[in-house]
Amino acid sequence: MSRIDPEFASEIKKYGAKDFSACFNCGNCTAVCGLTDKSVNFPRIFLRSGILGLKDDILQSREIWLCYACGECSETCPRQAGPGDYMAALRRYAIASYEPTGLTKLIFKSNPVFILFTIFLSVMLGFFLFTLKPDHEVSRWLFTVIPYAVIHNMGLVIFSITGISMAWGLITMYLKLSKTVVKSEPGKSNFVNAWREVVKELGTMNRYQTCDKEDDSYWKNKPAAIQPWFVHWSIMWGFLGLLLATVLDFILKDPATAIWWPSRILGTVAGLLLVYGTSLSITYRFKKVTKTYRETRLADWMFLLFLWVAGITGFWLEISVAFGANYLLNHIVLLIHTIISMELVLLFGFSKFAHAIYRPLALFFYFRESQQKN
Amino acid sequence: MEEKQKKERIGVYICHCGGNISDYVDVAQIRDLAKNEEGVIISKNVMFACADSNQKEMIRDIEDEKLDAIVVASCSPKLHLHTFRNVALRGGINPYNYTQVNIREQCSWAHSDTPGEASIKAAGLIRAGIKKVSFSEALENIEVSSTRAVVIIGAGVSGMRAAIDLAKMGNQVYLIEKEKAIGGNVAKWKELFITGQKGNTIIEALSKQIRELTNITLFTGATIEKVTGSIGNFIAEVNIGDEKLNLKSGAILVTTGFDSYLPTEGEFGYKNNPAVITLPEFKGLIDNSHETLLYNNRKVNSIAYIYCVGMRQTKGENKYCSRVCCTTAIQSSLTVHEKFKDIQAYHLYRDIRTYGKQEILYERSSKNGDIYLKFDEKAPPVVEPIGNKLLVKVKDELTKRRELELETDLVVLVTGLVPRSDSKQISALLKIPVGNDGFFNEIHPKLRPVETVINGVFIGGSCQGPKNISESVQSSLSAAVKINALTKNPTIFLEPIVARINFDACVWCGKCAEVCEYDAIHPLEMYGKTVASVNEAVCKGCGMCAPVCPADAIDMAQYSNNEIEGMIDGFMEKVELVAEAGDKLQDGGEEGIAMKDMPLIWRQLAGCLQGDSKSIPDLAKELGLDSELVTYNLMTMNKYSLVEADKLDDSDEYFSYKLKNIPHVQN
Ligand SMILES: Cc1cc2nc3c(=O)[nH]c(=O)nc-3n(C[C@H](O)[C@H](O)[C@H](O)COP(=O)(O)OP(=O)(O)OC[C@H]3O[C@@H](n4cnc5c(N)ncnc54)[C@H](O)[C@@H]3O)c2cc1C
Ligand code: SF4
Ligand code: SF4
Ligand code: SF4
Ligand code: SF4
Ligand code: SF4
Repeated sequence: MSRIDPEFASEIKKYGAKDFSACFNCGNCTAVCGLTDKSVNFPRIFLRSGILGLKDDILQSREIWLCYACGECSETCPRQAGPGDYMAALRRYAIASYEPTGLTKLIFKSNPVFILFTIFLSVMLGFFLFTLKPDHEVSRWLFTVIPYAVIHNMGLVIFSITGISMAWGLITMYLKLSKTVVKSEPGKSNFVNAWREVVKELGTMNRYQTCDKEDDSYWKNKPAAIQPWFVHWSIMWGFLGLLLATVLDFILKDPATAIWWPSRILGTVAGLLLVYGTSLSITYRFKKVTKTYRETRLADWMFLLFLWVAGITGFWLEISVAFGANYLLNHIVLLIHTIISMELVLLFGFSKFAHAIYRPLALFFYFRESQQKN
Repeated sequence: MEEKQKKERIGVYICHCGGNISDYVDVAQIRDLAKNEEGVIISKNVMFACADSNQKEMIRDIEDEKLDAIVVASCSPKLHLHTFRNVALRGGINPYNYTQVNIREQCSWAHSDTPGEASIKAAGLIRAGIKKVSFSEALENIEVSSTRAVVIIGAGVSGMRAAIDLAKMGNQVYLIEKEKAIGGNVAKWKELFITGQKGNTIIEALSKQIRELTNITLFTGATIEKVTGSIGNFIAEVNIGDEKLNLKSGAILVTTGFDSYLPTEGEFGYKNNPAVITLPEFKGLIDNSHETLLYNNRKVNSIAYIYCVGMRQTKGENKYCSRVCCTTAIQSSLTVHEKFKDIQAYHLYRDIRTYGKQEILYERSSKNGDIYLKFDEKAPPVVEPIGNKLLVKVKDELTKRRELELETDLVVLVTGLVPRSDSKQISALLKIPVGNDGFFNEIHPKLRPVETVINGVFIGGSCQGPKNISESVQSSLSAAVKINALTKNPTIFLEPIVARINFDACVWCGKCAEVCEYDAIHPLEMYGKTVASVNEAVCKGCGMCAPVCPADAIDMAQYSNNEIEGMIDGFMEKVELVAEAGDKLQDGGEEGIAMKDMPLIWRQLAGCLQGDSKSIPDLAKELGLDSELVTYNLMTMNKYSLVEADKLDDSDEYFSYKLKNIPHVQN
């Protein structure tokens, strides 16, 4: 027996789904969604969970992560309840709930808090960066105010908190999702197979490619390279590639290694993908090419913009390293690049981006269960 | 019963129905068979019996051949009975000396896969028709004088609206209301869907018009005690307090409305828990509250509506849907939302039936954040007290039948409409039947929706079944128009198909009166003995009485013993048809049949087509005919392999046609 909680709907609305109360359960959205099958049923049933305030149904669901926000369901809804936008809101809600610090909640629910926080972080990171050049004028002044050790340790603490809360979020999600697993000997091969499927999906976006394939779809006859799934693929792999390249560079301790160095090649390719993907995504949102793009939340704008700027400034630096350029300008660009990249990394677990760690886990559950059912 | 003169000059017309009949029934052979029947003077095949030209030909035949009866074998009498009765009349014979035989619906259409059988059946039916008509009697319509006055029972919105129109059309109207106040249920509702108008405003407006019309007499606190007489001349005995009045009227309109369903004690906690109330009670509560919604002096923060209470019972008596309650509940919820802030509504429903424009209200309510939960009739919600609130448990069909519970301050039972508790009494008084649902029954829900089986008694509004105001008024106004069509003539003509008593034979055993559902038979003193007598204005000609009479004293007009026996004899006689090779009588034989007779227009077309092939526009021009008619006939001729498409004409737009196979046609 579950108690209905009518307040919950207004909570979800704060995460960006305005109209879902209008749903009258016709089920068109579920019928039209290309990603539902025998074992998974969405989005209608989750609109139900939201309307009735069945929080656990949402937090224990893998389904909300299977949705790629193609928006086809929203186009089909006779009540304009926006089931696609609603699913996106549920993901934001879930990220905010899994993550233990409460920071995500603040960022998602309040734009001013989000802006202030980003600015604050930029300033902090700026100062922090100066500490890497201990003989600089600003650094010396800084060290008189706060000792180097404190700053250094603070950095470590912050990074640890970020890491820990991401791990915490993942574990929370794992535990929640495990509650609804239909118990039936999850054998080892199952486990491996499921992860193999996850990697395959992340590599090919096969499921995303099946989205929005109706005859009247805007994307019907468009080339793959500009379709939403490929844009998403580019951003994701671009970002991950850059992260890896940066880490490799960091380990090799020499950012200016020659251009043919594998980490540099990886960085270049990943950067190209990232800029390509973000540019298209920004254009789509700007032009509102389909209903899916008709409303973009501030946090989404900021992150796309950050990614794009990080990519562009990265290339600038690449080129200027090769050809040499104005020293001061280079330093300013470097500062921007580093601050933005660091912000992205720091906020990774507290933003929409966190779906990159939660979705694979949900996919894992899904693949494991669908294998069991077959 | 005295032996009547048999008809001796009968005309028989057998229709092709443009192929509808003649494609399957061998009309030519049957025509020849009919010609040999006793009393038949002419027997003809016709392309379209109902066509003007044929009607004229029939009239000419009646005059020239001095026919005294006619038979048309064609489509269903539902279509053309009156057409051919009229032809008879115009030709100078009594319209009741006419019989229609249905060889289309009953033969060619029904037995299209066995044309031989179809033809034999048609031949039998036609012979039966000829026998029937030969015993037929000339009958005169029953004439009844009519009073230009109408009694309307029930001054709800339906009765009031009909009264105004009937009065304006020139009838004296007696409007009889049981209660002290008029307006019925509508007077009780403040906020109305969809217009948002107030119930009492509507009633006041109607009431003002009624006061202004001098030919409406309104009786309140009045009840009908007895109704006698029949169409054109009813006498209604009305009690007003101690006073008794006899009102004479030509017709009666029943607009007695409905009762709201009253839940039984304990149904969803009704009566056991004060916070469980019905929808009409709740509407009253909304109207009487201002700023905050208070119930028993406590502020109401949440309301759970339970739908279909007492309605749509698969096991119980009320199987029907009340149509208005869904919308009323939703409208109330919207009003609550507007009038008092922050009240959470839960709607526990089985189906939402906000048809037509009412759907908009449903959508608005969802958008307001009202929560809808769908339950199955077999697992209804359970209401339990919890502290000073109520706990409602429901299995939600929309959430995989999940068991859910909610806390609420008030439970509103969305009760439907039921027949009025005294409707049995009205039904007995007027002899109008009620349906399985207990509401008054019309003759035909689609085609005769406001007439009852009793001539002169009409029903309107929600006494016929659940209706909203527009639907109620629509039906009562259509009854008003029907009534005026009756009363505006001083004389009403009724079909003479009634029971007739042979007074010599009748011994007044009363059996016939017992079985007559319409109470048309009463004893009468005559020649010093008691006999049965039939009120012709009341008798429906149903025939129930005839077979029960031990003295065989009852004969039905148009269905006398002679006629019925004649029909049986006619049908029993063996029919012999000749089946030739290639004839359609051989089942599965050739499509094309030997046409022994071509309709005039075919002959004309064939004439034009001697020599060159011609296109439809050219043929139409040449014959001065409508091109559609030419097309239609060419198509049929094509089917009979008489013509075929040749080549495109000069304009390249139309095919031209040429003669194909004309030799076996005798012009
Ligand atoms: C809770 C509720 C809310 C509703 N809200 C709306 C709405 O918002 N909009 C809408 O369109 N419809 C609404 N309806 C439907 C509306 O009430 C009916 O359509 C309307 O009342 C039908 O009118 P009526 O004249 O046929 O019957 P009634 O209103 O029932 O009137 C019948 C009249 O006949 C009288 N009567 C009965 N028997 C006798 C007798 N033997 N002798 C003399 N008089 C007699 C009665 O006293 C009464 O005055 C609602 C119904 C309910 C139950
Ligand atoms: S299509 Fe719209 S109204 Fe229908 S179930 Fe989905 S969200 Fe609800
Ligand atoms: S947005 Fe696309 S993937 Fe998501 S539920 Fe709707 S149709 Fe399915
Ligand atoms: S109108 Fe609605 S509440 Fe009334 S009986 Fe029909 S379905 Fe039930
Ligand atoms: S049943 Fe026959 S005999 Fe008896 S009363 Fe009626 S008509 Fe007369
Ligand atoms: S024919 Fe029917 S209605 Fe007429 S008197 Fe006989 S039983 Fe009554």
